[in-house]
Amino acid sequence: MREWKLTAVLLLIVALGVAVFLSIRLANKAAVSGFGMFTESLTGQSDYLIRPKAGDIPNESLSILRRELGGIPLGLFPVFEISGTISGEETVLRVMGLDLVAMQNVANYSQGVAAPQSNARGDDSGPSFLERGDLVFSGMAFSEAREIAVGETFILVLGDRRIEVEMGGILPENPNLPSIPENLLLVDLPALQEMSGRIGVSRIEVRFPNGEFRKGIEEEAAAKLAEVAEANDWLLETPAQRKDSVTQMSAAFRLNLTILSGLALLVGTYLIMQAMEAAVIKRRAEMAVLRSLGVTPAEIRKTWLLEGLATGVIGSALGVMIGIGLAQGMVGAIGRTVNTLYYETTSNAIRPEPGEIAFSMGFGVLASLVAVLVPARDAAMTPPAQMMRQGSPGGGLVLLRKRWLGVVLVLIGWASAMLPPWISVSGSIVPVGGYLASVFVVVGGSILIGALFRPVAKLLKWLGQKGSALRNYTASHLAKPAGRHLLTAAGLAVAIGMSAAMGILVASFESTLTAWIGQILKADLYVSGGGASSVENRSTLTKDTWQRIEAMPGVEGADVLNQYRIMIDGKETVLGASDYNDDPSRTLKMIWLNPPADTSERNLLGPEGDIYPSWISESFSRRFSVGKGDSLELPTPVGVKELRVNGVYADYGNEAGMLVMHRSFTREWFGDDEVTQMALYLREGEDAERVAEAVRGEFPSLQVRTNARLREDSLRIFHQTFAVTYALEGIAVLIAVSGLGLALAGLLIERKSELTTLKSLGATRREIASGAMTEGLGIAVVGMAGGLSMSFVLGWILIDVINPQSFGWTLTYRVPWSMFMVLTIATLIAAGLVAYVVGYRNAEVKSDQED
Amino acid sequence: MKALQVSRLTKSYGSVPVLKGVSLELEGGERVALMGPSGSGKSTLLNCIGGIDRPDGGSIQVGDIQLEQLDEEGRCHLRRDTVSTVFQFFHLLPTLSVRENIEFPLRLQNIDSKERGERVTKLIEEVGIEKRAVAFPHELSGGEMQRVAIARALTIRPRLILADEPTGNLDSRTGESILDLLESLSDHYEIAMLVVTHSREVTRICSRVVEMRDGALLEEVTA
Repeated sequence: MREWKLTAVLLLIVALGVAVFLSIRLANKAAVSGFGMFTESLTGQSDYLIRPKAGDIPNESLSILRRELGGIPLGLFPVFEISGTISGEETVLRVMGLDLVAMQNVANYSQGVAAPQSNARGDDSGPSFLERGDLVFSGMAFSEAREIAVGETFILVLGDRRIEVEMGGILPENPNLPSIPENLLLVDLPALQEMSGRIGVSRIEVRFPNGEFRKGIEEEAAAKLAEVAEANDWLLETPAQRKDSVTQMSAAFRLNLTILSGLALLVGTYLIMQAMEAAVIKRRAEMAVLRSLGVTPAEIRKTWLLEGLATGVIGSALGVMIGIGLAQGMVGAIGRTVNTLYYETTSNAIRPEPGEIAFSMGFGVLASLVAVLVPARDAAMTPPAQMMRQGSPGGGLVLLRKRWLGVVLVLIGWASAMLPPWISVSGSIVPVGGYLASVFVVVGGSILIGALFRPVAKLLKWLGQKGSALRNYTASHLAKPAGRHLLTAAGLAVAIGMSAAMGILVASFESTLTAWIGQILKADLYVSGGGASSVENRSTLTKDTWQRIEAMPGVEGADVLNQYRIMIDGKETVLGASDYNDDPSRTLKMIWLNPPADTSERNLLGPEGDIYPSWISESFSRRFSVGKGDSLELPTPVGVKELRVNGVYADYGNEAGMLVMHRSFTREWFGDDEVTQMALYLREGEDAERVAEAVRGEFPSLQVRTNARLREDSLRIFHQTFAVTYALEGIAVLIAVSGLGLALAGLLIERKSELTTLKSLGATRREIASGAMTEGLGIAVVGMAGGLSMSFVLGWILIDVINPQSFGWTLTYRVPWSMFMVLTIATLIAAGLVAYVVGYRNAEVKSDQED
Repeated sequence: MKALQVSRLTKSYGSVPVLKGVSLELEGGERVALMGPSGSGKSTLLNCIGGIDRPDGGSIQVGDIQLEQLDEEGRCHLRRDTVSTVFQFFHLLPTLSVRENIEFPLRLQNIDSKERGERVTKLIEEVGIEKRAVAFPHELSGGEMQRVAIARALTIRPRLILADEPTGNLDSRTGESILDLLESLSDHYEIAMLVVTHSREVTRICSRVVEMRDGALLEEVTA
């Protein structure tokens, strides 16, 4: 029965490891692949996308394109995309303007979402978008969630505008495509331009005709499109390239998640290893008999490897099933983070891709084989006589006892941390050295922590002087740790080490962010357009609006900022056009990493000839490899402008980087006097809430937040970002503590004869359980001490190596002592309880089982 | 007062009766050999007397302690304070040194360290393993291990020692010396001893020999 239970636990460990690994990957992929997927299908499988490098594409571009392409029969679909919200809601909506007439004229839309009929009700009773400019269309999810039926009206908020619109119809679902997202609204393009007060389009999608004709024109059309795009300074991309370039922004975030998910598997590997080692020890006598009957070491090794393989396959298969379910639960959380930090993503359904399943299963099987490799070698190599001898010390795992190897690995880790990042073909920066360093430190550290057993045993022995026989006895076991002790403590140390290191990263991030927010958020009120949640959702305030706000009673002055998403060197980034205030008491308080040398450099107003002054954020500096004093070429609707970098500042707002200029230049280049954000400074003694209410009263569509509220929101988003991280850490620690229970159960089963002795000497069941608890706590203390020590080094790698290379952010190292305290107490309590229960259950030795 | 009184003891495992109304008495300081073939119930009887197993019927009294009245905790205290066991395979705790093994029962009794030290040192001398006091069990010979086990059994100054094949795992010469040791210490401390054995040699240190067969005691055989 016990064998059966141990096997079940072993399979569960593999399953849990694989489940976490797979679920993170699937959820990740689903959350990220949501981007663009719907956009592509909406216009029916586009072949190319034409986008501006900065600003919008003018309306007339469509005729330019048609003219330049001559007679090539291509489908050109302009798309105007904007974000908005519904009055009274905070959910950000994607409002897409499409040329619905053109879409209806395209014959083959079977692959995409059908365009709404001119009369979306499907009969002749309702109005048509051909006649009415206030009709919007949505999927069933939007309509049902808000209980807005066809023909009903509601208020759509776009920036500072409130427009009454009517639900014109429900878009039919295509069973071959993901369901239409809840936050999508479709509007006829000219109507949306009128609603938003903007002209131009966000992109033009190009579609080649289907059938035989397609092959003939494909090459010629692609060449011609590239030529036209080049001439007009547009970007020409395939949807796949577009998706890659956007999802690239969150690559570091996703990589971090994948690594964290691998942590569960790594901890699991340690546990499988110790469970396999236990199995080897348990069956020593059986193997000795086999050896004495002529079975060769190679055959014994093969048997064990087969057992590891079977465990890996069955456990991984179980893990895949659990993982798919888990992924579905996670995709929402990851999607929200990606939404908040990076870009709009719409997918909420995971797809169990065979490739991912195979990869995760392969990982699980490999981990099981690695875990069984060393015990299998031990099993094969131990001479039969030694195997048969009573009381022979069990468990080789010699590698874990070689401290010099631990020191060497840690040193290699330290050297790896010095390696520069690897830059992939697609331009993504991978901190290979940092990751290698982490692996070496984790493996080396888990070898070195074996040295902690002796001092912990000495401490217990010293405490045991007062009389506790069982404590003394436990200490004697810890003083000479078995392979199982070492592996369990190593698994716990890895889980604790990496969780605590993430804690250091989060604390450092939070502390830096709080200081940064405190420094830069000096204004009393912050105003932005409705439906804006990030730079991606550009939602603006017209000149009239922001000037009226600036002139409101109680407002002393304002800084305004207009943000544009631009492309530099094929990578997306943000241009921030600031009209900052010169009053020294409320000037933008940047945290400079490389400050402007003097007032003339600090002043963004004075161009030198055709070279314009700018500041860049740290992330921008890293992504584009530019620093103070360097030149930059900025694409604008009126051509490329040359900029000089006057300073580099810290910015933890976005990892795509930001380039800051004075708005007086961009207003001219982009022909745009709107702003995306305002920072209001109030007169002395003014109540911020009162003024906020006044602004809201006059402009109900705007988001108005007080300084305190904005700080709260920023930190809330920050914590939301790390929610998945916390969950993964919790799982890793849980696996490690379960492993501790498993290890103790195994140890006590092996020590059945010792338990009998203890009972014959008069030890009670509770005393034996307390002894097991002390042993469990001893292992946990070693794991905790080793893990926390490791975390300081891992934290340094995360903050000073991986983070600057991945995100380009300089963080101040902070140790979250309170979190460490909670982690330590929680782990020790969990370990103590698990160990006591395991000890109590195993202390019941039936006499008929005894010698 | 009698060291041990067993009266009409019965015990079954499932439907198989193992002890069928066994009665036995030992005077203080008396040594009795219990012989019989494998499966006759000797070890079960020892387990019941030591409180490790519970009989189905009958009674056991060690000194003035009535075992039927003891709960699990009480039985542990019986083994801790009154009854010691010496095993065939020594059953030393492998991670404790010789000295620590002998000291262990005293630690369970919460005896202070000074007294512990004195008693253990004296016993180490008495069993003749002074030079091996800091060694660990795997470093000892079979005879040395059994000396440690005997010292451990004596350390609590029990009223009764249950010895299960104490020489069964030793060569004859070593076995002889262990028997001599048991005899002298039992006399010296006036400890009663019930020795389970297959060996006729062991009977030389016993005043009585009782034979067990199919769960019942046969007529006593005088040693």
